[in-house]
Amino acid sequence: MRAIIEVFSAVAADSVGYARRWKEETGRPVIGSFPMNFPVELAHAAGALPVIIQEVDEPITDGEGAVFSFYCGYNRSVVDQALKGRFKFFDGIMFTDHCVQILGTADVLRWHDPDLKILFNQLVASMDASWAVEEATNSLTQLRRELDELLGTTVTDEALASSIALLNRNRQLIRRLYTMREQGRLALSARELQHVVKSSMVMDREEHTRLMEQLVVACEADAPPERKGMPVYLSGHLCQAPELRLLDLVESTGAVVVGDDLYHGFRYISTDVPETGDPLDALAFWYFERNRKVPCPTRADGDADWDDFLVREVARTGAEGLIVLIAKFCEPHMYYFPEIAEACERNGIALLKLETEHDGMPLEAFKTRIETFVEVARRRKRTAALG
Amino acid sequence: MADHTRPTAQLLDIPPRRANRLTSTRLGSAIVHDYWADLFSAKERGKKVVWYNGTYIPPFFHAHDLAWVHGEAWSAYLAARHVEGDAQLAGETRGYDRELCSYARTHIGQALLDMKDLKDGKLDPQSPKAIAISQLPLPDMIINAYPYCSSGQQWDEMIYRLFDKRVPIFHVNIPLLWGGRKDAAYLAGSEMAERKVYVAQQLREMAKFLEENTGRKYDWDRLSEVMGFIKKSAELRLEAMDMCTVTPSPASFFDWIVSIAHVNFMPGTQRLVDFFEAMKAEIAGRVIAGEGSVPDEKYRFFFDGMMNWNKVGWLAEKFAANNACVVAGRYTHMSFWQEPQAIDLSDPVPGMAHNYLACPNNSGAPYMIGEIDRLCDKFKIDGMVMHVSRTCRGMTNSQHLIAESARKHGRAALFFEGDVADESFYKDELLNTRLEAMIESLESRRAMVA
Repeated sequence: MRAIIEVFSAVAADSVGYARRWKEETGRPVIGSFPMNFPVELAHAAGALPVIIQEVDEPITDGEGAVFSFYCGYNRSVVDQALKGRFKFFDGIMFTDHCVQILGTADVLRWHDPDLKILFNQLVASMDASWAVEEATNSLTQLRRELDELLGTTVTDEALASSIALLNRNRQLIRRLYTMREQGRLALSARELQHVVKSSMVMDREEHTRLMEQLVVACEADAPPERKGMPVYLSGHLCQAPELRLLDLVESTGAVVVGDDLYHGFRYISTDVPETGDPLDALAFWYFERNRKVPCPTRADGDADWDDFLVREVARTGAEGLIVLIAKFCEPHMYYFPEIAEACERNGIALLKLETEHDGMPLEAFKTRIETFVEVARRRKRTAALG
Repeated sequence: MADHTRPTAQLLDIPPRRANRLTSTRLGSAIVHDYWADLFSAKERGKKVVWYNGTYIPPFFHAHDLAWVHGEAWSAYLAARHVEGDAQLAGETRGYDRELCSYARTHIGQALLDMKDLKDGKLDPQSPKAIAISQLPLPDMIINAYPYCSSGQQWDEMIYRLFDKRVPIFHVNIPLLWGGRKDAAYLAGSEMAERKVYVAQQLREMAKFLEENTGRKYDWDRLSEVMGFIKKSAELRLEAMDMCTVTPSPASFFDWIVSIAHVNFMPGTQRLVDFFEAMKAEIAGRVIAGEGSVPDEKYRFFFDGMMNWNKVGWLAEKFAANNACVVAGRYTHMSFWQEPQAIDLSDPVPGMAHNYLACPNNSGAPYMIGEIDRLCDKFKIDGMVMHVSRTCRGMTNSQHLIAESARKHGRAALFFEGDVADESFYKDELLNTRLEAMIESLESRRAMVA
């Protein structure tokens, strides 16, 4: 089990290095993608390695003069990596999202490396519009066409269906670990679970799935861990993975993570693509369905409420507190946070907001705040129990 | 204690008046004044009110006899009168981070104050700021129609949610013209053609939404009539702008800024046409007389970025005091009915969609910057003034690239920090220093050439 986690950890730590080696070894193309809604099945079916482009933990240097400091760490890091030439081996980058900061980042990449092909077809963001499903299908159809043109392939429906099935299996296996964690039967830390999800965004999907089959068996055979802290739910961090040191800090300061809606967590693997019917229709369905399952503040949907979802999730997972990780300058998250705070207040949920930055993380200050949060939440629980 | 022996301007370190602003813009002020007065009394006159954000869709409301509130404009209105603080404080109190779009924070704060109004009775009547803020009528409908800026969509979602989802909302998606296809060109090619159809379809759906929420049939002939005035106004404005290629420039960016409301959200009427006729006539007169917007024009600048609404007059004077005329800008010269020729009055919707897609930010950077460079050549620009509006990512996104391209074309560039509606981000000393440095650099270049 540990050996598999080590593999996942290595891939997650150096996703670009892994992808470059994969390309050298297989001779097949690598397609980068910005988060959060690009259906990687399209690139996989074309024989490419789809790689969700990651923020890396290194200072912004070359990118400093290309993107302003009041942009989120993900965008600044991606620009920095691009200007350092790290993405030159990509055969293309595809994305579908409308985040204004990512749109700017994509343009900076194109400007500085006109040879890097970037395919963009915006997915409709108003999810409950009467034309939304049709429009999403049109966008995906266009993306498929452009990808074929870029890679010189003709992706068949059969190939796409096969990729959908594989990726579904991958997600299902990861979700098994999530279920075990909720039940207190998983002996993996939040750090290790991030390795699992993050590597699934990068690694050869057949290989990752094969290792996941083994990992699930091993985890199920493993003895349940001794629960060592107050159960908490982690929310937020939409495009970038939270720093591992921060996850460690949470779980070494009197808390244990029992659930999350992180993009590098449950948000990414929450929803399967239907395996019957037209595969592009199925991918469009998946796009809408995952927003219903885990509401995203970047989408507009009158029926999807992130705050209500979190209240339900906290109750369902038995968490005794909610920790919101908000990446500084992430606008959608900043808009929705007050609603989440009010929902917690209404429902008596202990809430801690931690604002993270790419450059410098005040870990000591966070440690004190988490300790205090755990104490307050426990006292609140004791008081409630006394009636 | 205040020094009553010195004039106020001197106390505030305001430079002496040098900007020779157009007098015809006063006609425009009356139009704006009447618009707000009409809006404030809309409910009393039985009108339904739409709160909207994004592109310039008011002709659809005008033709359907609705009153409309442009969220950005309302925030700018408060900021320009320096009374935005209460609304922003209300937003901040609820937990909205000050790094969020200050237009949005002001508008959302306004909604919070409105709700407080409803709950607790009127705002503190002692507060003069409350008088301005409390006049805005509550929405009966919300429409979001933002090109490019995702923050705009989230802002309206917040407004919708603040009103407990009771006020119906409609979204018009205006997708970015990325320009990655083989036939891509500025506002042309298959991507533009497809997006134009898509946006036009949504606009027709929007009209149905208006019908459903008013119980009245949409009058398409009336839309054509309104658009006739808008189209004519836009043509006159562009013709007047074209006259500013001469030296000295008869009008400045600041004249166009104070008349931006007119092409953005003022009602399409003969009065609007008359206003732009008057502006054009005054500019034509100045061209003949050789009269400049800056009397001793030595430098010609391009203003990039969103306007800093707290500082319109201040900035106009600052540049004029340095004999610099800010002749054109991305916000003024590339937005708002830039493509009137695309509008067929017998069926204006596709042409309106075309114009909405033409928001400069909504074209991929290479295309947008190509247009900026073309404008700079046309207006004989010496230097770029890049307003880095802290909370507006839509306008700051490509600014490093714009400056880089300008320098390649032999133009100087300076950056200064500020914001659209949050004065606290503006640093006057930084602008002074950088402006001085840019002017020195231009002088050196000229000396070398001489």
